Amino acid sequence: MIALVWLVPLLPLIGFLVNGLGRNVLSKGVLGFIGSAVVLGSFIISVLIFNELHSSPQAAHVIPLFDWIQAGNFKVPFSFQVDGLSAIMLLIITGIGFLIHVYSTGYMHYDAGFAKFFAYLNLFIFFMLLLVLGSNYVVMFIGWEGVGLCSYLLIGFWFTNSAYASAAKKAFVMNRIGDLGFLIAVFLIFTTFGSIEFTEVFSKADGPGIGAGMLTLITILLFVGATGKSAQVPLFTWLPDAMAGPTPVSALIHAATMVTAGIYMIARSNILFTLAPYTLDIVAVIGIVTALLAAAIAITQTDIKKVLAYSTVSQLGYMFLGLGVGAFTGSFFHVITHAFFKALLFLGAGSVIHGMSNEQDMRLMGGLRSKLPVTFWTMLAGTIAIAGLPPFSGFFSKDEILAHAYEHNKLLWVLGVIGAMLTSFYMFRMLFLTFSGKFRGTHEQEHHAHESPSSMTIPLVILAILSVAGGLLNVPEALGGSQWLHEFLSPVFAASTASAAHGEPMDHATEFMLMAISVGGALVSLVIAYFRYGKSGHVPAPDFGPRSFFAKLSYHKFYIDEFYDALIRKPLDAVSGFLFSVVDKTGIDGLVNGLGKGTVETSKGLRLLQTGNIGFYIFMMVIGILAILVYSFIKI
Amino acid sequence: MEAQSTAINYLPIIFQILVALGFAVGTMAVTHMIGPKRKTSDKLTPFEAGIKVVGNARQPFSVKYFLVAILFVLFDVEVIFMYPWAVNFRELGSTGMIEMFIFMGTLLLGFFYIIKKKALDWD
Amino acid sequence: MNALITISVLAVLVLYLGLYKANKALLPVTLLGLAVALFFTINHWNVFTGPTFNDMMSYDNFAVAFSGITITSTMLILLLSKGYFEKISDHVAEYYSIILFSLAGILVMVSYHNMTMLFIGIEIMSVSLYILAGIRKQDFASNEAALKYFLMGAFSTGFLLFGVALIYGAAHSFDLEAIKMHLETNLQTGQAISPLFYTGVVLMAVGMAFKVGAAPFHFWTPDVYEGSPSLITAFMSTVVKTAGFAAFLRLFATCFYPLHDFWMPVILVITIITLFAGNITALYQNNFKRMLAWSSISHAGYMLFAIVSLGSEASYGVFVYAIAYSAASIIAFAGLVLMQANTGSDSFDSFNGLGRKNPFLAFTLTVAMLSLAGIPLTAGFIGKFIMFSNALSSMHTWLVVLAVINAVISIFYYFRVIVAMYFKDAERAELEIPLNFKVVLAISVVATILIGIWPAFLPNVI
Repeated sequence: MIALVWLVPLLPLIGFLVNGLGRNVLSKGVLGFIGSAVVLGSFIISVLIFNELHSSPQAAHVIPLFDWIQAGNFKVPFSFQVDGLSAIMLLIITGIGFLIHVYSTGYMHYDAGFAKFFAYLNLFIFFMLLLVLGSNYVVMFIGWEGVGLCSYLLIGFWFTNSAYASAAKKAFVMNRIGDLGFLIAVFLIFTTFGSIEFTEVFSKADGPGIGAGMLTLITILLFVGATGKSAQVPLFTWLPDAMAGPTPVSALIHAATMVTAGIYMIARSNILFTLAPYTLDIVAVIGIVTALLAAAIAITQTDIKKVLAYSTVSQLGYMFLGLGVGAFTGSFFHVITHAFFKALLFLGAGSVIHGMSNEQDMRLMGGLRSKLPVTFWTMLAGTIAIAGLPPFSGFFSKDEILAHAYEHNKLLWVLGVIGAMLTSFYMFRMLFLTFSGKFRGTHEQEHHAHESPSSMTIPLVILAILSVAGGLLNVPEALGGSQWLHEFLSPVFAASTASAAHGEPMDHATEFMLMAISVGGALVSLVIAYFRYGKSGHVPAPDFGPRSFFAKLSYHKFYIDEFYDALIRKPLDAVSGFLFSVVDKTGIDGLVNGLGKGTVETSKGLRLLQTGNIGFYIFMMVIGILAILVYSFIKI
Repeated sequence: MEAQSTAINYLPIIFQILVALGFAVGTMAVTHMIGPKRKTSDKLTPFEAGIKVVGNARQPFSVKYFLVAILFVLFDVEVIFMYPWAVNFRELGSTGMIEMFIFMGTLLLGFFYIIKKKALDWD
Repeated sequence: MNALITISVLAVLVLYLGLYKANKALLPVTLLGLAVALFFTINHWNVFTGPTFNDMMSYDNFAVAFSGITITSTMLILLLSKGYFEKISDHVAEYYSIILFSLAGILVMVSYHNMTMLFIGIEIMSVSLYILAGIRKQDFASNEAALKYFLMGAFSTGFLLFGVALIYGAAHSFDLEAIKMHLETNLQTGQAISPLFYTGVVLMAVGMAFKVGAAPFHFWTPDVYEGSPSLITAFMSTVVKTAGFAAFLRLFATCFYPLHDFWMPVILVITIITLFAGNITALYQNNFKRMLAWSSISHAGYMLFAIVSLGSEASYGVFVYAIAYSAASIIAFAGLVLMQANTGSDSFDSFNGLGRKNPFLAFTLTVAMLSLAGIPLTAGFIGKFIMFSNALSSMHTWLVVLAVINAVISIFYYFRVIVAMYFKDAERAELEIPLNFKVVLAISVVATILIGIWPAFLPNVI
């Protein structure tokens, strides 16, 4: 089955082509069915591949498909790599992707761009699969660019709204900044290692002749790429704006899959990062800063999707923190559980928005628990999971990251726990604002509010079950677990584990203490949120209402957008204005136009040589021949 | 390139050019010179007796002359191939026989084509 | 050999089909016959054991590859000709069969192993082309094209033949291998190579440069291309040019290779003049067909790169370049034929607004222009890329710099077509595109993009 791995990305590509070409021909039912069925097909194959890999564990299967580019000693085979890491990513992408496709058949049912939506979604799945399956940096880069493109297309899906269109543009530009780093890193990898194949690069990584400085440079550039795609400080502001896209897109691309590409890339290149400890420190610091900053912003947001968006940024920060402290398995574990509960929360939010006739402001919701029971219960499960309360999945994954952080640096751990408390607070705040208390919207909305169709609720229920039980994948030893995921992924991280310095393993008592502290913190936050928003029914102030200094800072996202605007965009505008009017218009245009005119004049002149007179032609030929003969006589 | 190649090696080429040019120029010059020339107005008229000439001799005439002439040359020249074949008939054996038949067959096809196209019909 | 016999017999058969008024069967029979010939050709792949027919012919992979391209391109062009010749004349069968005779000559040209076969191949091809150029008997431009082509072609053939004769005089053989051996032994033993030989090489270079339309022997090209019927021009600028380069390369890459230092500067200068003459003159043309003629001259310049540098990838480079150039040119000429049939004009202005009315045709033309200009993700880019990297690896940095300047110039006139199609509005009716045109356009576009994205799909010809 592993040899048939090419089928996995091929199916969504076929889906994209069929949906794209048949958009005016096929009915919505057929379109939705094809779109979902191809992803289901990919999922089934992924499961079979996973099974085979699980029963006969081997380091990595590389399946060459064809030679793609061959120029001199630069060879790029188009080949796929199947190992634990990519197999699990396959399951997440196709599994959650399938659920979201099914959900979308309900959510997008009345949208005019139904066919276009499914075509883009299929295309996204294709590129995402390419990204995780590629056995070298170039194929990965193609997927990387492709998902960026799809993300751009889907954020701007309702492009007639100019704010949405500019959000798409912002996402694209920020991603491009990161991509540039990635691209330069790939060039450096090729010049340093003479190859871009993962297996070759990683086997040479700690070999002789590879300078630590070069490795640090490469990894920093790779990390720059990751900060763009995975929305880390300082390139994170596009992700909240990306909520302009339809909610299933937010769930699939901006929560479960694409934004974790940066983590996947670093986990894939783990040996390079392990050999560059300086970069790892940067990764950890950026991770925790992002986690705290985004969490601090999330606690005052009033748009239900914005809360989830900042929460995503914050959770991604946790994952980078995990990578930074060497908890590759833990970080990847968090990718998995986060994919479950964040997709669930987004889809739940989508269900709420759907039921509220496209209202996203939580100040106008409230009391929806009785109207949307399935949504409420599933979202509750997701919220508990993300808050890190046992035995839900988030508890296990977050705890593993925090435990490693504790081993690495106590300060990182303290900040991590604070972040976890903030997470618990804003998530329960969102839950209470939305589902408890009195209804605060218009009368019409109240009358209209309804539970979503089963095509939307069934995915919610499945994801809720996964969010609850997902933690079982990697139950720590302290709790009597077998750490299955750790075992499964150990070949991928083997080299890193071997070369990283390891102290004494943590004793169980410390581990229990850490767990207790973080769970206790989360519970305290839960209680505060309950009293503030659940019991007393406090509602956040209107947009320009009175706020304390810190609340104002948080509500306005620490003015980061304005800061970027003043610091980067305005000076750039001024410089480019100058370049345009002075350098380009007069200098370069003058030169270029001059050259062009010169060529055209020459052309006019040369054209006259073509007289049409054979005698002249033959005369010219004879002159040519004579010149050549004279040359050859001299030469002999 | 090599020291041995001197101007003397070009002698054959120069000879060839000289002969080619010389033959053309020479024949033209010689024909002009050796013929006796008595230029009187009567001599320059086309014919000394009979009807006066009307118009120029270089006037267009039917392309059919060319067609027939070219076809004649074509089929005439093909016959040349038969002489060496006939001389070596025994040595070439049955292979030669078959090849000549193919050759003649092709010619025959061409001939048949010409007739069907009415290239030889004068009207 | 089977392919050559098939095509020759096919030509006679088509002639007789015309004789018996089976005009409907002409095109299908021709295409079927060519398909059989193509099959025979491909069958020869990788089964080369040595020259055959008393060392006259050599059906190696090089020959198979170039026979394959020329036969395939001819098939595509013939597919476009449905109903085309009927409009020009009553003698339809003759045109098919003359094209086939010409193709037979081309097959000899790409697989010769003896100078006489080279000469015979070139003559079979050329004589057929002289007639094809003039098939519009009543059209002065067509007559002029035929006569010019014939006069200048005869002139250049004289040089070619003289070159062959001189080389025979020096090396006492027509056989490529024997001539090469002669050169090598002489060079090794330090014996002088007769000046006859040097002169012969130069004269043969002149003759071949004329056949591929390289400057300063290119003057016939624009006039002949413009005067001939468009489909014949398509045939001349793709199939004939490819064959010319194959013959050129075979001669200089194998036979005259030991004298590389001697003749390389000559070809280098020819290359540079060709690039500039072709590109700069093409800039100022207002007529699409004439622009294509000049651009074909400049492409001859790019293909000459292979002969200048003669690296390990020279034949592969010409192979890829010929495919890319043929596919793009066929699209361009198909567009031209459609345009002429519908509007009677072939100026750039007649393409205005085509993007809106005929999106498919406009798209294919765009791909063709991008490929001719050498923009990435098209076959033309890969062709240029191989040529340039080949030239760089043999240290012709300046040549590549000049070529890149030329590539930039060429973008201007190729994009004029794209600009006219998409950015200039004009009141126009939708062009009727027959099915056979659609098929040819689709095949060519797919080939162009496929090679552009995945060049390794082509087999390596060495």
